[in-house]
Parts: sequence; structure tokens; C-alpha cells
Amino acid sequence: MNETEDVVVLSDVRKTFRDFWLRPTVNAVDGLSLSVRRGEVFGLLGPNGSGKSTTIKMILGLLSPSAGKVSLFGLSPRSIEARRRLGYLPELSYLHPFLTAKETLLYYAGLCGLARGEAKERARQLLEMTGLSAVASRTVGGFSKGMARRVALASALIGRPELLVLDEPTSGLDPISTKEVKTLVKALASGGMTVLMTSHLLADAEDICDRVMILDGGKSAAEGRIDELGTSLEAFFLAKVGDAGDFRLAPFLS
Amino acid sequence: MRSFASVVKATALEVLSEPLTLLVLLAALALSVLAPTFHYHQFGEATRMARDSGFSALFVCGTVVSVFGTIRAFRREIESGTIQMALAHPISRGGFFLAKALGAFAAYLVFAATVLCTALDVIEGARIGGVIAARTGDIARLYGPCLAAGVAVMLVPLVVGAVLNRFLRFRFVLSSMTTAFVLSLVAAGACAALDRGLLPRHLPPAALLVVLAAVFLSASAALAVRFRANAAAAGAGALFALFLPFVGNYYMSDALANGGSVHWGYVGLAALAAAPAALAFLVVGMRFIGERDVS
Repeated sequence: MNETEDVVVLSDVRKTFRDFWLRPTVNAVDGLSLSVRRGEVFGLLGPNGSGKSTTIKMILGLLSPSAGKVSLFGLSPRSIEARRRLGYLPELSYLHPFLTAKETLLYYAGLCGLARGEAKERARQLLEMTGLSAVASRTVGGFSKGMARRVALASALIGRPELLVLDEPTSGLDPISTKEVKTLVKALASGGMTVLMTSHLLADAEDICDRVMILDGGKSAAEGRIDELGTSLEAFFLAKVGDAGDFRLAPFLS
Repeated sequence: MRSFASVVKATALEVLSEPLTLLVLLAALALSVLAPTFHYHQFGEATRMARDSGFSALFVCGTVVSVFGTIRAFRREIESGTIQMALAHPISRGGFFLAKALGAFAAYLVFAATVLCTALDVIEGARIGGVIAARTGDIARLYGPCLAAGVAVMLVPLVVGAVLNRFLRFRFVLSSMTTAFVLSLVAAGACAALDRGLLPRHLPPAALLVVLAAVFLSASAALAVRFRANAAAAGAGALFALFLPFVGNYYMSDALANGGSVHWGYVGLAALAAAPAALAFLVVGMRFIGERDVS
């Protein structure tokens, strides 16, 4: 694969969830095609339930598409070689509560195949970078949501990934931590890392992303470069998805 | 390989950090140490009583730890979502499943070694107590130092765990489990120095129980990937009930009671017989995890 090739490609991908009797329950993603280019920050936006996380999980090989094709670095997402090159921050910080922050990073360093010495050094750097050095030997089960988020972010970065997949990266963070995460993502992107992120916070996406796709009902409602929208992302989003949402507040407010 | 080892280590730590594992260990140690000390039901066979209690504790409590420890390790990984983080890394699904099962087995081995070593200490205590009783005409009792060592293996780890947790923030359960393991090894080592035949006689039957636990553990792992915890536990329980009538063949307590032991060749045959079952369960488990959507 050369430097100009797409890192992630989805071609007419569908995902239908089924119940125990294999009856279809939800069409989470419906004929979605997209590509993420090397070195760009790509945002997958949309309201809750629009299929963002399902799409991410298909890209990571955690979910199998019902139809269509997903490729990661030109390989199957289930391929070990493809996953060696990615880092993942899930929407919720899934961490083993019995491990300390340092052990958590060493665990993921081991999963990335880092040698022991390199893993320890990398864990030390990331603990320092995320401001967790002082609590490195405390079990993460007792951490606040924001601290757990930092550990999860450090875990995603420990293998020096080429592609960083962030599912709602600022979820549960206070404004200062949110700003720090955005600064970090920008710094990583300027260093050449490809970033694929989902968010329903338009301000976050507008600050970080080069290109966005808006999902609605599992389909692509719009796609474009942030600097070519000609309007604010919020106005663009509302024009494409509508502002009705799931809530109809007007009768209550009046 | 490094990623495989990483999952093995984390899973072993997880099972050994479980409060349930420590509680079951304390119950097993209490059964091993305290049951033979009540002389009114020894019927003149203190050593046999000590051996039966120890091996029963190893069998029953070991099965509980191997089954529930494994089910909890897998279900928590799936239900808490940590499996998503793990499988987004360069490890195959089959490799991840095997590594978790191996980690649970490693934790079981630590548990089993602690119970067995304590049982050996008590068995030796009963033997020496019987020798003293024969010389003095008294009722056979556990030899004091061995009884003290057995009680220490039960109680000292709790104190050490509490102190390490209070002053150094070490994990209480893990510290207690580790201390119990080390103390029991020291006690059994001292007893083995007193009686050279202690280990050669008791290791083969203990190995049979480990073989049996490996089968239950692999079945539990496969069930836990496909079904919820309660259903997986029910499945493992049904398998245990099917096996139970044949456990007498594994136990071989008569051979031990008559001063002999189980031949290592018999252990090898049992392992050969158990291997296809364990492998079949592991293959089924790998297939289950390969097919499932992780979300």
C-alpha cells in the first residue's frame, strides 16, 4: 500500500441485527460507502442511533457486515496485520477494574506485541502525558470517569498506531479535559496519524476534523470537507438531518 | 506470543483477585485443617481422615474455582466491553479465547497448589500425631506444629493482605492469595523433608483431580462465550453431574489408604482420556468466539 491509498474503505456496507430466532430487528447501517485517506482526520457525525458506533465496530472487525465489504489498510479488518496498525478508544472506557493504571497500559502494550522494556518506557511516557503518573499504581476500578477516559486514551496510543479510531473521544470529559483531548488529536494528526472519530458534538468535530460524513438512519446524509461547507457545521448538520430529533419540546415549553 | 502471554497473565490476575476465589480458598483450607482436628469422628484413622478431607476440599472447591472463575472471567470480559478493546488489538479471536482459558487454568493451579500443600501439612501432622499416640497410648491428634502451620495458612494471609492494603495500597485479595500460596509451600516443604514419601504418594492422585478440573474448565470457557453466566453455570453443573458417578475412579482413596499410591502411568492414561474432551470443548469455544458479534 502506498502513502496516497485509502486507509479505510467501506463499500455498500449493511448491518442488520437479528434476535435469537434470527429475525431481523434493526437495520443499523444501510448501504454505507466511505473512505478515509491517509493522514486526514475524518469525522463520522450523526444523532444517537444513526449507526456511527456500528460502523466503527465493523471497521475494527468486532461486528461482521451483513452485506458489503470493509477493508482496513487494504486487508480484512479481522487480519492481525491490519489491527497491528490501529488504536481504538471506545465510546465507554472499558477497563479491567482489578488492574492498576500502569498494569492496564502494560497489558495493552503486551497485546500490541511490544517488548517488555519498550512497553515500560512507553507506559511511563503515556502516564506522564495523560497526567496519571501519580496514580499509576492505583486500580482503575476506583478512577473517576475522566481519569478512566485518560487511561483508555493512553491504551489506544500505546502501540504507536497509524490509524486512531476514536468513538466519542470527549464523552464524559470536563471542558478542560475536552480541550486537552482535542489538542492531542490535532497534534497526532499533524504528526501524520490518520484519525477516524465519531461524535455528536459538532463543535468538537468542527475543531478537529478535515472531512466529515453525516449519518442518519444508517445512511450517509452528506459528506464534505469542513473548509468547503460554506457554513457552520451546525447549520450544515441541521440542514441535512433536520432539527426535529427524537424530542418534541415545543408543546412543553409553551 | 507476547499478546497471548499478556492475556494469560491478566486473566490469572483477574481470577486470583476475585473475592469469591479467596472465600472458596478459605473454605477449602478450613475443611482441610479443621475437619481432622475433631478427634471424636476419626475412628482411629486420623491420617486417612486428613487425606480424605484435603482431597475432598481440593476436588469440590477446586471445581468451583475452575468453573466459576472461568465463567466470570469470560462473561465479565464480554459484558463489561473490555473484549472490544482486546480484540481491536493484534490477537486472533481463537488465540484470545485460548489465552483466557489458560490464564484461568493458571489461577486454578495456584489455588490447587495452596490447598494441596496445606492438606499435605495436615496429613503429615496426622501421621506424626498417630506415632505419638501409639507411643503414649493417647488419642491420635494432629501434631501441634503442623496444626499451627495449617491455621497460619488460613489466618496470616488475611492479616498480611490487610496490612499491605492499608499501608502500601496493595490489592487485598491478591496479596492474601499470594501469601497463602507461599506459606502453604513452606509448610509442605518442611513436611516433605520429614517424610520423603509424602510427595510421591500424594502428587499423582492430586494430578488426577487437576486433569478433571481442566475438562470442567474448558467446558465452562466454551459455554461462557456463547451463553449468559447463569446458563453457562447450569451447563457446567449438568456436565459435573454426568461426571460424578465416575469420579470414584479418579479418586483412588483406597489405594492411598492402604499405604500405596496411584501410578503415574494411570495419571497419564487419565490425561489421555480427558484430552479429547477438553480439546473438543476448546475447539467449540474458539468457534463460538469466532462467530459472535462483539458489541
